[in-house]
Amino acid sequence: MKKVLTILFLLIGLTASSQCISNQSFTLTPVGPYQPGDVVTVDYTLGNFTGININWIHAFQINLGPGWTGLTPLLAPGNPAGSIGNWLWDLQNTYPGGFNFGPGWRFVNTGTAGWGTSSTGPFIMSFQVTVASVCTPDDLSISIEVFDDCTTGGWSNGGCCVDPAYNIYNGVIQIPPIITSNINHF
Amino acid sequence: MKKFITVLFVCFGLASYGQTTINPDTVCANAVGEQYFVTNTPTSTYNWTITGGGGVLQTGQGTNSITVDWGGVSGLYPNAVEVIESNANGCPGAPVLLDVFVLNLTGNAIGPFCEGDPTTPLVGNPAGGTWSGTGVVANSFQPSTGVGNYVLTYTLGGCNTTINVVVNNGPVTGPIQHF
Repeated sequence: MKKVLTILFLLIGLTASSQCISNQSFTLTPVGPYQPGDVVTVDYTLGNFTGININWIHAFQINLGPGWTGLTPLLAPGNPAGSIGNWLWDLQNTYPGGFNFGPGWRFVNTGTAGWGTSSTGPFIMSFQVTVASVCTPDDLSISIEVFDDCTTGGWSNGGCCVDPAYNIYNGVIQIPPIITSNINHF
Repeated sequence: MKKFITVLFVCFGLASYGQTTINPDTVCANAVGEQYFVTNTPTSTYNWTITGGGGVLQTGQGTNSITVDWGGVSGLYPNAVEVIESNANGCPGAPVLLDVFVLNLTGNAIGPFCEGDPTTPLVGNPAGGTWSGTGVVANSFQPSTGVGNYVLTYTLGGCNTTINVVVNNGPVTGPIQHF
């Protein structure tokens, strides 16, 4: 009996913490490190989204360190074999359940509001960011979080509430040294 | 060919960097239009500050080269010239400083002389300079040079000052008479 309970708890635990996302990849153009004014293109792919318990994908949130500015969408995710609707670029959105999202893309299901898309991917997207013109070595981290029914509140029976943010870049702004020559007198 | 290239590089180097000023810099009292510069970075701006020595920045603020007029009070003025370079993003670099010594020369007045007077040493302040002019030999004036007005120049550290010296006719004494 003890053994059965242990196995049951293990199974429940695995289901609750299962990740729906897999096969993530990215490219950065150019590659870091970065100086003020550098413009960087980020290409990100989520190869597969497996919605456990009919848990559909809803949004891709871009998390940027304060050293970035000028976030610009270049290519929205596709919706292969997905629900009717489109990916909407949004800087900020509060879902009906109170969850705050943004910036990034969120799926607007035009058939049934709040359902996301049934597509399992792949989802390919790209955006551009610029290194701020500052004098301090500010954080330049980039990560992407995938949100779904469970997080946005559209479906309470989902199983992907703990998908971790996918890290794309860690670093700080490289401040070039200012080297002034000695003062000369003609 | 190798020698030619070496000479070319040396010449180019000199043309690019010019002279190097030793700290402290020396300027003459009441000098005007003295030019100070740092190596230029085209995308940078330069903020200059002149402190002490009666110095007044005249032209060039914001650029890598300025002109300054100096006052007349002799002395050493620490950090009299300061420049802070800022790059294209407005980020400032470390201040670069230059001490300035304002050199005010004076020459002690001498004379008037008569033609037959002995050679007289010339004294300049600060000491260590060189006297020049008609009648000057080894930093002394020789009245035997002759009757006239002379302008003598005292030179030190690239600065100079002048004094005027007069040599008069000596009294003309007739022959001794016997009543």
